Amino acid sequence: MKTVINEQNRRNFAAQVEAMLHDKLAKCYQCGKCSAGCPVNFEMDYTPNQIIKMTELGMEDKVLNSKTIWLCVSCNTCSTRCPKGFEVTGIMDVLREIAEKKGIVSKVEKEVQMFHEVFLDNVKSNGRIFELELVGKYKLKTRHLFRDMFLAPKMLEKGKLKMHGEKIADLNQIAKIFKDFE
Amino acid sequence: MARIGVFVCWCGSNIAGTVDVEKVREEAAKIPGVVSALDYKYMCSDPGQNSLRNIIKEKNLTGIVLAACSPHMHENTFRKAAAKEGLNPYFVEIANIREQVSWVHEDKERATAKAVDLMKMMVEKVKRDKPIEDVRVPLNKKALVIGGGIAGIQAALDIANGGVEVILVEKEPSIGGKMIQLDETFPTLDCSSCIMTPKMVEANQHPNIKLYTYSEVEDISGYIGNFKVKIKKKARSVVEKDCTGCGECWNACPMHKNIKSEFNVNLSERTAIYVPFPQAVPLVPVLDRSVCLHFKKGGKCQKCYDACGPKCINFDLQDEIIEETVGAIVASTGYDLMDTSMYGEYGYGKYKDVISGLQFERILSASGPTEGVIKRPSDGKTPQTIVFVQCVGSRDPEKGVPYCSKVCCMYTAKHAKLFAHKVHGSQSYVFYIDIRSTSKGYEEFVRSTMEQDGAIYLRGRVSKIYEDEGKLIVKGADTLSGNQVEIAADMVVLATGVIPKKGSDKLAQMLGISYDKYGFFTESHPKLRPAESSTAGIFLAGMAQGPRDIPESVVSGSAAASKILGLFSKNEYEVEGTIAGVNEATCVACFYCQRVCAYNAISRKEIKDRSGKLVKVVANVNPGLCTGCGACVNACFSKSIDVKGFMDDQIYAEIKALAI
Repeated sequence: MKTVINEQNRRNFAAQVEAMLHDKLAKCYQCGKCSAGCPVNFEMDYTPNQIIKMTELGMEDKVLNSKTIWLCVSCNTCSTRCPKGFEVTGIMDVLREIAEKKGIVSKVEKEVQMFHEVFLDNVKSNGRIFELELVGKYKLKTRHLFRDMFLAPKMLEKGKLKMHGEKIADLNQIAKIFKDFE
Repeated sequence: MARIGVFVCWCGSNIAGTVDVEKVREEAAKIPGVVSALDYKYMCSDPGQNSLRNIIKEKNLTGIVLAACSPHMHENTFRKAAAKEGLNPYFVEIANIREQVSWVHEDKERATAKAVDLMKMMVEKVKRDKPIEDVRVPLNKKALVIGGGIAGIQAALDIANGGVEVILVEKEPSIGGKMIQLDETFPTLDCSSCIMTPKMVEANQHPNIKLYTYSEVEDISGYIGNFKVKIKKKARSVVEKDCTGCGECWNACPMHKNIKSEFNVNLSERTAIYVPFPQAVPLVPVLDRSVCLHFKKGGKCQKCYDACGPKCINFDLQDEIIEETVGAIVASTGYDLMDTSMYGEYGYGKYKDVISGLQFERILSASGPTEGVIKRPSDGKTPQTIVFVQCVGSRDPEKGVPYCSKVCCMYTAKHAKLFAHKVHGSQSYVFYIDIRSTSKGYEEFVRSTMEQDGAIYLRGRVSKIYEDEGKLIVKGADTLSGNQVEIAADMVVLATGVIPKKGSDKLAQMLGISYDKYGFFTESHPKLRPAESSTAGIFLAGMAQGPRDIPESVVSGSAAASKILGLFSKNEYEVEGTIAGVNEATCVACFYCQRVCAYNAISRKEIKDRSGKLVKVVANVNPGLCTGCGACVNACFSKSIDVKGFMDDQIYAEIKALAI
C-alpha cells in the first residue's frame, strides 16, 4: 500500500515519540541487529527495525496497529546489542502507550493488550504481582479458563504460585507513580 | 664452443620437496656444452650468488641457466651477479621450476621430469643467446600537464617546485576545473574556492609553469623523453598581456540575454565577451565568437572595443599553434556529468525545479546565480522540502553506467546538510541504494547529516517524479520498511553520476594510452602502478582515471609529479634491451606490425642512398616506446621482426629440446 508522507504529521508523530523515548530516531543504522536477535520476531508483522523506520517516516496508523508493538516481550536483547545504543525496547513501550491512550485496540493481539492491562491493575492494587490473582483475572477477561491449566501443579510445586498475596508496605507511593503518569 | 653452467636451486623445501633436484643436476651435466652443474639450497643467498660468480670465473662460462623460481623474482639478482663477472646479463636464463613445477604438481617423479625438460629448453636457448645492450633514451626535462583542474594543478605545482619546467594546458578560459564550481567541500565544509584560488594563482605566477588556457592539445608524437606536442591556442580576441581584467568590456557587451553561463550550469546568463567567474585565472576575458554581434553582424558592433581602456581587444586574432618538446606528460582531463535527461521518469529538463547536483552546488555558492541564497529556478522561492535522489545514472547498467560514481553519496549528504543550515525548519529526504562513505571523517559526516541535521534517508530508488499543484511528487520506495512512499517536494536534486570528459578517448588515442570501455584512462597496473599509463612517460591523474574525490585527485596529481621528478632525476631513461628489431634487408614495408602495435612504437623509415634517392621504406622500432611484447613478431609475414632475446632460432631450439 502506498504511503503519502505528510510532512507536518510526520514531524508531529516523530517528535512525540522522540520526546517520550528520550532518544533520536535518526540514530538508527537500519542494520537489523535488533530484528536478527529478537526471540519473537517470527510472529511479528513488522520487524523492530521496520517499526523504527516507519515511525521516523510518520506511518502512525501502521505502527500503532501493528502486532509487533504488542508481541515485544521487552527482553531487551535488541537494546543491549544495538550498535548505536538506540532504545529499541523503549520505542515499543512508547508506541504501546500511544496506542493505549488513543484507544486503539489491537485486533490481532487483543489478549496481549489485556494481559498488560491486568498486569498493571495488579501492580496498582498490590504494589507488586500476586500471581494467582493475575492469572484468575486474566482468564476471566479472556475467557480461556482452562488454557495452560496443567502448568499450575508444576508452578505450585516450585513455589511460584502462592495462595496469599502480599502487598508492599507503602502503597501510597505506587498510587503516586500511577497518578503522576496519568 | 658454448660453456654453459646450470645451477639448480632447492629453494629450501619449496622446490626440493617436490622435485628431485639432484636428478635435475645429473641430467644437466649430461647435456653437451654444459661444463658445470650444481645444486644448492638457496641460489639467491649471498653464498649461492658467490658460488655462481666463482664458477663463471673458474670455468670461463659463456652462459648460465638457473633452474629456480620465476624470473619475476630473481632474474635481476642473477643478471647483476653475472654482470659483475663480466658476462653480458642477457646470457642468464631462468627455468622456472618453482611456480611452474613444484608449487603446482604433486607427483615427484613427473614433476622432476618436467623440471628436467624446462632446464633442457633453457640450456638450448642460452646457447643461442646474443649479447644485448640496454637502450638509453635522452630526456627533455620539461613536462606537459593536460587539464588544469585540481589534479592537473597539483601535478604542475609539484613538478614546478621540483625545479622542472611545466606546460599546463587548459581547454576552458580559466583553470580550476570542476572544483572551482563547488560550494563547500565534504567532510570539513571548507569553501572550495577559498582553498582552490590560491593554488590557481600560484600556478599562474610560478616561474616554472607556462600556462595555456583556452587551448587544446592538437597533436602529440614521439616517445618518453622526447614528445613533440602541438598546442592550439584558440583565438581569445583579447591580447592577454595588455588586459587588466577591469571588466569594462563585458559590462559594455549588449549580448547579456539568452547566452547560458557554462560555469553556472545554465542557471544564469553571461555576455558574449566574458570571464567565466570573477576569480578566473588568468583574469582575461574570452570573446565567444559564436554569439558575438561583431562576428554575426559583419563588424558593426564594437562596444567592448570602445569601452576597453588599454585597447587590448583585437577582433582579428587567429588561432595559434605552439610547438613544444617535453619529456613526460600528465593526462588529467577530468570528467563530465552524465546527461540525466534520458531518465524521462525524473523529468530533468522538463521540470525547472528538478536539477543536477552541480547545479545545486552553484545555487549554494556565494558566487552563484542566487548569491548563495537557496532559491528554486522556477519561481525564485526558497524550497522547504527537497528530495535528493542518489545514483542517477550510476549503478544503472540499463540506462546509465554500471559503476559507482563514488562522490555522490558524500556530496548529497553535504547538500542536505547545507540546506538544513541555510533554510531553518526545512526538510530533506535522501533516496539511496547504499551509502558509501569510506574515507576519513566521511561516515561521521553522513551520520551527522542524519542525526544532527535531520535529513531522512530512505533506502530505495525513485521511480517517478511528476508535477501536481505546484509540487513535485516523488514516488519512491523505502525498502527497509517495505513501503511505497510518496513525497511532495519543492525541489528535487539528482545526484548525477560522472563520465570521462568528452573527447578524452580521442586524446588517449593521440597519446597512445589505453582506456577502459567507459573511456577512463587505464593504469599500467591497477594496484602497483596507479600513476602510470600503459605508455612510458605518460602519467595519469584525477577523475580522468575514474571516479574519485578531491583528496584522491590531489594525491594522484602529486603521485604523477613525483614519478616525473624521479624520471627526470637521471639524464637518460634506460629501457631493457629485449625489444623488437627489424631486419631491414627482408622487410617488405607492409606495416602489419604497425597496425598490431599497441604502443605506437613502429614508424616508417626511409632508406636513402648517398645522393638522397629513396632506396626503400622499412618499419622502424622506437626503443623508447617498444615494450618487447612480441605482437609485431607474430604479425610479420616476412619474418623480418624479432624480439631480442627471443629470436626464432632460440624458440625452435627450445621446442626441439623438448621433443628429444
